[in-house]
Amino acid sequence: MGFAAFSSNHQSLYRLDPRTKILLTVLVGIVMMGGSIHGPSAIPRALLALAPFGLLLAERKYRQGLLYLFVLLLSVGVESYLVTRTQGALNLILVIVSSLFTRFVPGLMMGYYLVSTTRISELIAALEKMHMPRQIVIPFAVMMRFFPTVIEENNAVREAMRMRGLHLSGGNVSAYLEYMLIPMMMCTVKIGEELSAAALTRGLGRPGARTSLCDIKLRGLDALLITISLLAFALWIVL
Amino acid sequence: MINLQNVTFTYENADTASGLSDVSLCIPDGQAILLCGESGCGKTTLTRLINGLIPHYYAGKLSGEVLVQGEAVSNLALHQLAQTVGSVFQNPRSQFFNVDTTSELAFACENMGLPPAEIRERIQNTAQAIHLHALLDRDIFALSGGQKQKIACGSVSTLEPLIYVLDEPSSNLDHASIRDLRAMIAHWKAQGRTVVIAEHRLHYLYGIVDRVCYLQDGRLTHDMAADDFFSLSAEARQRMGLRTLSIEALLEQGVPSPTLPGLAPYRLDRFDFAYPHCPKALNIPLLHLPAESIVAITGLNGAGKTTFARCLCGLEKRCAGVICRDGTCQRCRDRNRSCFMVMQDINHQLFTESVLDEVLLSMDQEDVPAAEQILDSLDLLMVKDAHPMSLSGGQKQRVAIATAIASNRTLIVLDEPTSGLDYRHMQQVASLLQSLAKKGRTLLVITHDPELIVSCCTHVMPMEGGRATDPYPLDKAGLARMLSFFTAIGT
Amino acid sequence: MKKGIQAKDLINIGLFTAIYFVVFFATGMLGYIPIMMLALPFLCPFVAGIPFMLFLTRVHTFGMVSIMGTILALLMVLTGHPWQLLPIGILMAVLGDLVLRAGNYKDWRSIRLGYIVFSEWLAGMMVPLFFMRDSYFAQIRAGYGDAYADALLSVTPPWVFYLTIVLIVFGALAGAYLGKATLKKHFKRAGIA
Repeated sequence: MGFAAFSSNHQSLYRLDPRTKILLTVLVGIVMMGGSIHGPSAIPRALLALAPFGLLLAERKYRQGLLYLFVLLLSVGVESYLVTRTQGALNLILVIVSSLFTRFVPGLMMGYYLVSTTRISELIAALEKMHMPRQIVIPFAVMMRFFPTVIEENNAVREAMRMRGLHLSGGNVSAYLEYMLIPMMMCTVKIGEELSAAALTRGLGRPGARTSLCDIKLRGLDALLITISLLAFALWIVL
Repeated sequence: MINLQNVTFTYENADTASGLSDVSLCIPDGQAILLCGESGCGKTTLTRLINGLIPHYYAGKLSGEVLVQGEAVSNLALHQLAQTVGSVFQNPRSQFFNVDTTSELAFACENMGLPPAEIRERIQNTAQAIHLHALLDRDIFALSGGQKQKIACGSVSTLEPLIYVLDEPSSNLDHASIRDLRAMIAHWKAQGRTVVIAEHRLHYLYGIVDRVCYLQDGRLTHDMAADDFFSLSAEARQRMGLRTLSIEALLEQGVPSPTLPGLAPYRLDRFDFAYPHCPKALNIPLLHLPAESIVAITGLNGAGKTTFARCLCGLEKRCAGVICRDGTCQRCRDRNRSCFMVMQDINHQLFTESVLDEVLLSMDQEDVPAAEQILDSLDLLMVKDAHPMSLSGGQKQRVAIATAIASNRTLIVLDEPTSGLDYRHMQQVASLLQSLAKKGRTLLVITHDPELIVSCCTHVMPMEGGRATDPYPLDKAGLARMLSFFTAIGT
Repeated sequence: MKKGIQAKDLINIGLFTAIYFVVFFATGMLGYIPIMMLALPFLCPFVAGIPFMLFLTRVHTFGMVSIMGTILALLMVLTGHPWQLLPIGILMAVLGDLVLRAGNYKDWRSIRLGYIVFSEWLAGMMVPLFFMRDSYFAQIRAGYGDAYADALLSVTPPWVFYLTIVLIVFGALAGAYLGKATLKKHFKRAGIA
């Protein structure tokens, strides 16, 4: 999952409320982390594990969705079948890898779904609607805005290094890191200083409520997904 | 109305921007006023006094009084001033807070707490007035500098301030974008707004500003009507350190007819390139570049100039182009060692902790005396122990060139070396290029600056739609041809 | 300098968190080389010491470091990382902020210690693994029998978690020195710090 996702202008096909996506991401993370692939608690877990798959398909991200399903089924299969039939180091690796995968990958995939289908302005509007204080929302927005800048600056610096013939060769790892990091940070900080000035002259920091052009609303589909996932969550707790 | 009374200002940390001393100036409502002067004359400082960044953002010692619409700027918070004064800055890349254009247009209004319906209406109005419809709902990072600057103007415009303050807004723009900028300023003026512009590039403001103030060393020395200013003689404006007042005037200035060395040219074969999922950005089957000359590469944004330069310098590995001269041919990878590009944002290509180290790093065998000799020839010896990032823009540019010389590059490409430079610094770049060509380097200059071309280039290579033909020499006919390109779309 | 956190400070927090995160994340990419994975708790805070020390030159009041940790943890959770990172990240950031404030964000010893405390947010990644053990092994025991579960327990000892914490301490300590040296070598001389 590349950083490109953060700057994506992609408009979600189903226009789910970002708050729904956030809730789902958190719930999937919690539920997958605990419980078993056997017994009754497996049912709500399976349901939530399939959530990223369905959502990705709905966004026509077929490749990512199917890849996810494949990885998920493979690791569940390994965890439930191969683990008892292997021994020694191989067994150890299989146990660790498959159990880590079944627990972490669904959450990470939800995260990928969230950032790749939500505009940053929508995410910010959602955070505001969730009554996050501005001291959190503004830095968060700036951080999201600066990811592409950091990447852009980094690419430009890497290119300049190539042109200068500065390659990673021999034992000069620290020099290489220095050439890569220092100009990138200096350029980014400079942009940040100019951005501060520009944003302040556009009224950022005015006390009182901000408004938002983004209208995010909980719609029918949101209500449905929230209900299902909360039910699954409740089921998981009870079982 | 803007009123400055005996204003003196010195920056707390004396950086490149210099202060003002005892400036008094009254700008009535609805006037368009140009602030000009050499780099460091204080024109940027003056704009900061009006939009309140001084004293609220840049710290320093301020005396005298600055009144905007009758209120003292020092008593107003920046967000209060934002409703009266809208600001556009030099660097299009550092002015936007959002990642998509529509959010950016809404940004100032959202900060002011305007209702969403009204914000939407204002965005529509602004888009209508300054032709932004094609740019709505776009990823700002994917826009060109000119388009970004247009969004910056638009995002200020939505708040409908009474006063617009622009600080070198054209520095990073091509001449088609400058035309748009001019139209934008004209629109604001027609609405009866006050417009204050600090600029180096002057010609596009002819017929649009009412009044011109010239600053020198922080003092306001000339305050004249626009008509008087734009009829200054070439000698007078050069003496004042100002850029050309009209592109046509450059024709009269003429060029020193170049003495062409008559060397075998570089032969470029199959310079084709396409970015993924895009039509061909570059399509040059065959091209001859004159050696040991200074070739200006002209063309609008998106004409393929930068792509060409990147392919030439071996930065695009998928480009199959080959350069041959004197029987030796170089493919992409080899060119990493013979070609060098001085990037537009020079800060990306300085890596070490001192100027001398920077040059030594580029040498195959570290040789301090040789490095010092190179620095001396570029007028950099006295700063050899300074950190490269602490230097001025022009010095950084020369450090980058010094590294190119140290690594024995024969072909040097410069990307917009004179953006935002005043007359004196532009002339410095011009004479540097000439001395490099004399020493046997071949120089390619990507530029939107006809004055630089007239000052030093020997050839011009126009590009359009990824195509280019052999450069034509900049003789009398060539000069007219080159200038007609800039005037056809320019002002 | 005005008291309290100004709009300019909020922008600085966002900016430096972005740099910090990218540097952290890029270093974390080394984890794809298997043997490096064990070294990540050391390497990440080590390299990220550079942006963090530069950030501290902009910090003048309590809360800025806390906010940094908060939005960092928020981002991690939104990208699907364990939710435990949010409380742990915020806690470590606030504690680190308190330590840093004790030295007025200038005293080197409190900077050193503050950065170590702040960096422990990374341990939040390991917390679910650590607490998952009990439920996981209960399940293994039920499914595959005692012998198997005991064998597995012996090769995945709990001290891995504590080792991580210790590695972070050393990584952050070295990172603080690296950041300090870089400030002196580059940023101060370039007029940025």
